[in-house]
Amino acid sequence: MNKESSYDTWFRLDNSGKIFPEVSNHRETNVFRVAVTLTEKVDKDLLQLALDAILSRYPMFKVKLKKGMFWSYFDYNSRPFVVEELKHYVCGEINPRKNNGYLFRVMYRNTDVIIEMFHSLADGAGVIMLLKAIIFEYLVLTGKDIKPDNLVPTKYERPSMEEYEDANSKFYDRKNKKHIPEKRAYRIKGTPLSEDLTGLISGTISTKKMLEIARAKDLTVTEYLTALMMYTIYVTQIQYRGHIKSNQAPVKIFVPVNLRKHFPSNTLRNFSNFVKTNMVMAKDDISFEEIITLVKEQFEKGMTKTELIRKMSENVAFEKNVFLRFTPYFLKKYALKIGYNMLGMKLNTMSLTNIGKIDFPESMQPYIYDVTAGVYSGKFNTLNCSIMSYQDRFKITFTRSIVETKIEREFFRHFTNLGVEVEIESNYVEEY
Amino acid sequence: MMKYCDKCKIKINTNNKYCPLCQQVLEGENTKGLIEKYPEYVSVNRKIYPLTKKVIMFATILSIIILLVINLATLDENPELWSLIPIGSIFYFWIVISFGVLSRENIAFRLVILTFLLIALLILIDELSYVASEVNYLGRWSYDYLMPFLLASCNLAISSIILIKRIDYRDYIIYLLTIVFLSLAPIILVFLDIIVVNWPAMVAFGLAIFILLFIIFFFPKSIKDEIKKRFHA
Ligand SMILES: [Zn+2]
Repeated sequence: MNKESSYDTWFRLDNSGKIFPEVSNHRETNVFRVAVTLTEKVDKDLLQLALDAILSRYPMFKVKLKKGMFWSYFDYNSRPFVVEELKHYVCGEINPRKNNGYLFRVMYRNTDVIIEMFHSLADGAGVIMLLKAIIFEYLVLTGKDIKPDNLVPTKYERPSMEEYEDANSKFYDRKNKKHIPEKRAYRIKGTPLSEDLTGLISGTISTKKMLEIARAKDLTVTEYLTALMMYTIYVTQIQYRGHIKSNQAPVKIFVPVNLRKHFPSNTLRNFSNFVKTNMVMAKDDISFEEIITLVKEQFEKGMTKTELIRKMSENVAFEKNVFLRFTPYFLKKYALKIGYNMLGMKLNTMSLTNIGKIDFPESMQPYIYDVTAGVYSGKFNTLNCSIMSYQDRFKITFTRSIVETKIEREFFRHFTNLGVEVEIESNYVEEY
Repeated sequence: MMKYCDKCKIKINTNNKYCPLCQQVLEGENTKGLIEKYPEYVSVNRKIYPLTKKVIMFATILSIIILLVINLATLDENPELWSLIPIGSIFYFWIVISFGVLSRENIAFRLVILTFLLIALLILIDELSYVASEVNYLGRWSYDYLMPFLLASCNLAISSIILIKRIDYRDYIIYLLTIVFLSLAPIILVFLDIIVVNWPAMVAFGLAIFILLFIIFFFPKSIKDEIKKRFHA
């Protein structure tokens, strides 16, 4: 069945999206961004036109959040979507009241186009599709002769139901949903930045060099960067301080896994899971090699089909619980909130999201310079990392809610010490 | 021209003075006309309540306290809690301003809430000012006239909004249904003999039934859709 964007359109929140509206606020915004830097200055009016065209093709994003009796849901939003100029906020709260009800923003600055999305609506892969579609449409409007080459969805395709599906529940396995309790993770401490500000520091290195470095250790890029992250946290925060109680909690890096690569689905909505590294680092002599071995092992264990399905089913089972299902929404909301605040977000030290490389059709490539990803950072996860690459520009972006930049510094110095050129970008939040 | 940090060995394209990683002074010249990658921080104006609002707020709280104190002090002479009438009215005024006028909630939702509260306030006033012996009329004006009248007006108001803003009517239909069902209350009160004068209740009821039938016959799908959305489990 095909659907045109209309008042009949409404969606249930997908399984992983359900938690975010209840636990998000100005501090824990659950917002992430992807940005494209073009080679020419962005024209605001054409960008607006591109958005208007694309939103009618993607009814999934043309929605607002409404409350029902048992669950909240996305309902068709008839109000106009307006592109804005980029402000200094990085992944700030998306307040639907100030945003015509929309749960995402599209912003521009100089040559950049930035999308920030509330996590309930989609995950990284979903937003990349939206971003590609917008950029394609925008470039067409500026008069460029470009072709989609099946890499970019255009406004001429009709939306398919498959794009809206909640893929998590399709792979639900009743027999494989055991809940495994977890310990609280180590938290990176620091001086909080004022006014909910977020600091952003990106480092760009050569994709080719990055691959070489990871392969030399027989690791994937994500594995290598995760191991390096753990090592950097260890060296800057924990080493020789293992006797302090708070340093004895395990360092856990939450690494999202795009399930579309493991299970067949073309959904635009949330369809990701995670692997997590877990290591108590309260010793004085942990080597990088030791961490690498452990990370490799934990990634392999976490990425097996059985384990991925177990994690999916664990979430879905929660939603299928009859008792919870028929609890009125206004009560359920508090249950979710309390559960999440007590444990949910405290189970990770930080998240490291590798969105991966983004491909554009050959005809579009001359107009695209690079891409940047970013996720919010909050009170418990004071530092997060997201990675995205385009051609030979491999960009690692740190977002932080604290003043200190020690981890970023040591992380990037690791590369410069290997003789790799690193180009830094910063939003200079510390200057404020 | 890119700047360079000698300590971190990194390049950076900025006109800022310091290295964001180590706070060292960067080497290299500023680039003329460079647009920084990220915009500079402009402090948001914290919501500072303007003086007038503070004054009104202060006066309100003060008058509520004075009213309560006088009422309680003179309870021997006049055993009624008459101060609840002005206090209730003050509160209602605040709700009208902050929720009814200034909020961005759905207009139909605002109307339903304001109507409901107004009815509650008027019943309160009626109860407190009712002196049984003074009149022959046994009913209460709030139940007999005002409640049906207000419900009917709210019904008409939301219906007209829907007729005028045809495109958006689905956003309002749930509130229309709510007020239609609330309009059944006077009829129940008629049967309980709380309402003495029947015709206003009948009119409100008739109007509600008319609107309900109208929606059922002409917009059956929208009701079904709305219920499906709101009640999915
Ligand atoms: Zn430096």
